[in-house]
Amino acid sequence: MIQLNNIEKYYANKGVKSYILRHVTTTIKQGEFVSIMGPSGAGKSTLLNIIGMLEEPTYGTYEFLGEDVTTLNERKRIELYRNHIGFVFQAYHLIDEMTVYENIEAPLLYKKIGSSERASRIADLLDRFNIVAKKDLFPNQLSGGQQQLVGIARALAAQPSIILADEPTGNLQSAQADEIMNLFKKLNQEDGITIIQVTHSEKNATYGNRILHIADGVVKDDVKVIV
Amino acid sequence: MFKLNLKIALRNLWKNKTSSFINVIGLAIGLAACLMLLLYVSYEWNFDKQAKNWKNVYMAMTNVPGEGNKIAGTFNGSTTALGPLLKQNLPEVKYVARMDYGKKSLIANGQNSYKKDSKFAEPDILKMYDYQFISGDPKTALQNPLSVILTESTAKTLFGTVDVLSKSVRYQDKENLTITGVVKDLPENSSNRFDFLMPWSFYEIVDPSAKELNWNNYSFVTMVSLNPDANIDLVNRKVEALVKANTPQTPQSQPHFLYQTSKLHLFGKFENGKPAGGDIEQIWLFMGLAFGILLIACINFMNMATAKSEKRAKEVGIKKTIGANRTSLIFQFLTESMVLTLVAVVMAIALLEICLPAFNGLLNINLGISYFNTASWIGILGIVIATGLIAGSYPAFYLSSFNPIQTLKRNIKSRGILTVSLRQVLVIGQFCFAIILIISTLVIYRQIQYIKNKPVGFDVNALVEIPQDGELKTKFDLFKTEMLKSGAVTSMYQSSVSLSHRGRNFMDMKWDGMTNPQNTVMFNQVATSYDFIKTNGIKLLQGRDFSKNFASDTSAVMVSASAVKVFGYKNPIGKKVIVFGSNAHIVGVFDDYVWDSPYKSNNPQVVYLTTGQTGVITMRLNNSNNLQSNIETINKITKAFNPAYPTEITFINSLYQEKYKSEKTLGILSNLFGGLAIFVSCLGLFGLVAYSAEQRTKEFGVRKVLGASVANLMQLLSLSFIKMIVAAIIVAVPISYFAMGKWLNNFEFHTEISWWIIPVAALGTLSMALITVSFQAYKTAKANPVDALKYE
Repeated sequence: MIQLNNIEKYYANKGVKSYILRHVTTTIKQGEFVSIMGPSGAGKSTLLNIIGMLEEPTYGTYEFLGEDVTTLNERKRIELYRNHIGFVFQAYHLIDEMTVYENIEAPLLYKKIGSSERASRIADLLDRFNIVAKKDLFPNQLSGGQQQLVGIARALAAQPSIILADEPTGNLQSAQADEIMNLFKKLNQEDGITIIQVTHSEKNATYGNRILHIADGVVKDDVKVIV
Repeated sequence: MFKLNLKIALRNLWKNKTSSFINVIGLAIGLAACLMLLLYVSYEWNFDKQAKNWKNVYMAMTNVPGEGNKIAGTFNGSTTALGPLLKQNLPEVKYVARMDYGKKSLIANGQNSYKKDSKFAEPDILKMYDYQFISGDPKTALQNPLSVILTESTAKTLFGTVDVLSKSVRYQDKENLTITGVVKDLPENSSNRFDFLMPWSFYEIVDPSAKELNWNNYSFVTMVSLNPDANIDLVNRKVEALVKANTPQTPQSQPHFLYQTSKLHLFGKFENGKPAGGDIEQIWLFMGLAFGILLIACINFMNMATAKSEKRAKEVGIKKTIGANRTSLIFQFLTESMVLTLVAVVMAIALLEICLPAFNGLLNINLGISYFNTASWIGILGIVIATGLIAGSYPAFYLSSFNPIQTLKRNIKSRGILTVSLRQVLVIGQFCFAIILIISTLVIYRQIQYIKNKPVGFDVNALVEIPQDGELKTKFDLFKTEMLKSGAVTSMYQSSVSLSHRGRNFMDMKWDGMTNPQNTVMFNQVATSYDFIKTNGIKLLQGRDFSKNFASDTSAVMVSASAVKVFGYKNPIGKKVIVFGSNAHIVGVFDDYVWDSPYKSNNPQVVYLTTGQTGVITMRLNNSNNLQSNIETINKITKAFNPAYPTEITFINSLYQEKYKSEKTLGILSNLFGGLAIFVSCLGLFGLVAYSAEQRTKEFGVRKVLGASVANLMQLLSLSFIKMIVAAIIVAVPISYFAMGKWLNNFEFHTEISWWIIPVAALGTLSMALITVSFQAYKTAKANPVDALKYE
């Protein structure tokens, strides 16, 4: 599903190149649950952003679903966001002015899905994540864990084939973190959704089935998780 | 989608109360100013355009030749002979109607008598103006000489009802006229208004000289209605040729041309016989002012929206990652600005309703919002959409262009120099406009003060005038004796015109040693009786006032100092001049006084003695009695002479006050708009400072912990804003200096721009801005650092 070839990313500052990523080559198949790990500043988030097409690599090629997406115009990229990619952020990034219900509805509106279909999908998600009672609340009225649940529900609303999560539990207490990670695992196993997460925590990484270790912009290790 | 956008827009409005308040108030003021102006412009623009075929209605204009083949002036008077000539010889002419200029005359139903605006006109006038007849037949209403058409309100004042057809009213206490029609009241924006209209055939009875077709007396108006397909240039060439062929040609012959009647109001200024603008310039000015204020309010919105960008950027980033494209984001931001503008326009209409009466009083007009008129709603909607687009488009395009990853990383600080400086440029622009308005206001005020303080040439106080009506025309000498005996006045005279008057200019003047065979200098004429100088107190430079002791004074004239200059006489007393072909000798020279515009030097004047030309009686009140008893005495004696007429006593000083009216209005309006501009600009500045303070809360907390004083912090926050105001002052001062210098040059008599005006305007603006900024700065600087640092 994802094919990265020799990806490099650097910033040139006064003629000095500071590398973030070097020679990253990897393949991620449909249905995998990949955790990207490494120390701070290793380039984990940059890699995830490149996979999410939020950043462009300075060098190398990137194929998504067999299509070269290394440089993509905005319209095509948004098309991919609408249909294939869901984002989950460490800081949740819910829209403060919208209620829980509206936050989940937003991607469906952009995808121009009919109102009855929309209502049923949202009802389904609210039900599944046990947040029906919270649907008319605003994000700042929810706890962190609840906010992240809404964030994931929003990412799932458009029925993406892949979820990109940047430290999804970084701001959460461990009990809530476990809940979120179990949810991811379930989504991966039962719905077959590809998940790529960036994480600091060894424990969180074990929920997945593959770990990419990154240090100083280079993939040091690519291991399968054996349960 | 739209519904959600709308909901979010409303929530955003509610959440950010300060900025919403600033935006709504600012926009409401701007919109109110704009709507008010739109009303005013449509009122002025539709002047004389009520009739169905207003496009084809023309007025005969007359060019007055001046020195060296130039045209000295153009006016809308014509002779009695012109109309019939055009009607007979021009195939393009459909209707012709001769009229008089109209004046106040007495109309009475029994004892119930009033002085109302009267007019005489030929019957074809009814085909040019679509007067709406409540009763009577427009075809026959002006057929009979002794008939009259009343307006609805005249009928009501005289009879208490509009059902007055075939009843009779008495005109000038002389003739009984039969009412042949009642028309709806005429629109206020018409230059051809009357309270009652009488047939031209009746005028020929009142003034038999009007019966003969003469080419000398230009006291009439000739209205011409052309065929719709007539080419006006061609017609005008024919008119000129026709008049040339039918009148003896001298250098003083005054050529005619036709001019669209509706244009006369806004494009009524002529230079060398060609149209050269007119009141339309004032309309442009008002338009500029109102749109300027609206623009300032729009700039406020833009600045606030982009200042808030850090907050909004996150939202943009998230939406982009969940599939929003740029178009949908632009639409969302535009929806927000539209919602805001809609809220503002509701407030603006309320504001307008509150302010209109005052505005109407100021300009002496009667404007109102016609709520049931689709055109006015389309106009309002148009303004709302335009405002929403102008205010919203820049923020919409700016915010929607954010790259999601930068915004989510809170990396917006690297906004680039360009956008920041654009905001600064906008603020500088706002304040430039405000400062220019302040300086203009001060200069206009100074100019009015200057003209007011300039002596008019005589003591305007204690002088009153009354119109010379009815018996006062024939029994003036008796009236004068009675008046003087009563002790209410110390002296009085009759004259053809009031001390303050327009027109009555002529050129038929000869004197010894003339260089040209024909005179081309405009003179002004006043016909008077004895005691002219004694009463009005104009300074006599040489010679004497007219006196009964000199029988020869019937052929004597007094001339103004500027007239003597034209004649070139060293010792003018006793010298000969020829006025209208008859010999006269100069007995006195008086100093020039202001009788027309106080802004320029008036034409040289000739005053001659005749009992025939009546018009106005001017009296000097006796200062040893109190004013009220003087007025009562005058009233009583006048009423005894003229029982049919109401007495109208006018104070000369109020007449002279009138002369400053248009500049005074300009002064008040620029004051008002200048104040509004400053207010709205400061509102915007306040918003910007508030946001800048909010953004820097953490920085301020840290600085405070490190030992910065309140003063340090205030300086830190205020300085960048003050710099912008200073820049605005630097830009605005030369512009306004130049513009106002040009404005002042329009007046022959004008003040100079005093040096102190500029520092006053600059310091005024600066201190206003400083107060605005420091209020917020102080609040931020005083805040407890712990609160600020707790944020993260």
